[in-house]
Amino acid sequence: MNLGPWERFAAQFPYLMETLLLGVEMTIIVTFGGFVVATATGMLGALLRTSRLMVLRVIGTLYVDVFRAVPVLTQLFIIYFGLAEIGLKLDPIPAAIIGFGIHGGAYLTEVFRAGIEAVHRGQNEAALAIGMTPAQALRIIVLPQAMRVVLPPLGNYAIGLLKDTSVASSVAAPELSFRAHMLVDQTYLSTQIYLTVAALYLAMSLPLSRLVHSLERRMARGRVA
Amino acid sequence: MSWDDLREWLPQLLAAAGGTLKMTALAYVIAVVVGLLLALARRSRRRGVAVAAGWYVDLMRGTPALTQLFLIYFGLASAGIVLSAFVAAVIGLGLNYAAYMSEVYRAGIAAVHRGQREAALAIGMTNALAMRSVILPQALRIIVPPMANYAVSLLKDTSVASLISAPELMLRARDLSSEYFMPMELYLVVGAMYLVMAYPLGKCAQYLEVRMGKGRVAS
Repeated sequence: MNLGPWERFAAQFPYLMETLLLGVEMTIIVTFGGFVVATATGMLGALLRTSRLMVLRVIGTLYVDVFRAVPVLTQLFIIYFGLAEIGLKLDPIPAAIIGFGIHGGAYLTEVFRAGIEAVHRGQNEAALAIGMTPAQALRIIVLPQAMRVVLPPLGNYAIGLLKDTSVASSVAAPELSFRAHMLVDQTYLSTQIYLTVAALYLAMSLPLSRLVHSLERRMARGRVA
Repeated sequence: MSWDDLREWLPQLLAAAGGTLKMTALAYVIAVVVGLLLALARRSRRRGVAVAAGWYVDLMRGTPALTQLFLIYFGLASAGIVLSAFVAAVIGLGLNYAAYMSEVYRAGIAAVHRGQREAALAIGMTNALAMRSVILPQALRIIVPPMANYAVSLLKDTSVASLISAPELMLRARDLSSEYFMPMELYLVVGAMYLVMAYPLGKCAQYLEVRMGKGRVAS
């Protein structure tokens, strides 16, 4: 019996879906891991960029300029294939998380820096004047106010990252796109499988972007222009 | 890595970087034109057109460019439409970025005070004329800086086209890497090449941002 591609797709749907959902799980793990690493790296980068020491500021600027100007795919290949060549063999998932984290950290450095600079310096001075340590002033006074500036771009970064993790398929990280390639190789149902994959990405990114939008609105409320 | 290796790689990588630049330029033209059409469609009084354009933007922005490239390259091929990988990449990236561009246009148009349009209509301009000669020129100042930034991201995103084997810098690097087994050296060289292309472009975008921001009244 000769079945058309859509019939074959329908017949195999449960199996295909089962495999793709494993990929969805891994996509979420890589996105989450990358986000955490990027946030930490970005915080560090922002501290370097706003440091009083010139050397640290230069290091921070170099980091931002270099890592933002090179495609994340190239950075993943350096971390996965390049490091393996010099004897440091990482598994695909950690390599992807580190790669996205370091790449995203360069973006978030600028986001956090803008957030810190948006808080009036009088706030910091007042906090120091009433006897807070610089660390306390940063944590209790400056950062909470900076959050309002930082959250919208941070949310947009998360959405971008979710989609960018598809590129990790090229270093064999078994996330959604990688699973899809394997299934297409087995079944040749490229249109059907990639459409399903697109729908799965949408199902993840649309709720995330709704969330970011509502956060954005909440943050904008009561802000003085 | 010896200098001899580098001497063998460089001409090939430079030629491939030409492919990257060509792909970026062509996809960017598609994005700028289709993006404007989308932005206008979203303002259309025909609800069907506006809703369809909105859906397009949400779908394109909600899915990875890589998935879109696979659909255009492999999906269309299975439907009998065979595109070269390069053409598929240009169309795919162009249509993907068009969705982002349309939002840039939309923000720019929305930022022009509506009294401008009303005044243009009041002195007898048609809708199209008001858009072309009154609103868009003023919106440009808001549109240009983010647009320049998208050029930089597009340049970097063309690297993803290597995954459908479109001839550009990353593909050449991967080929050379499987030939020479020196991924570290190769990808570092390629990273430096992207830096050389993207960094000046990013600086231009920054300059435009400062320039266009000058004399703007805070709203």
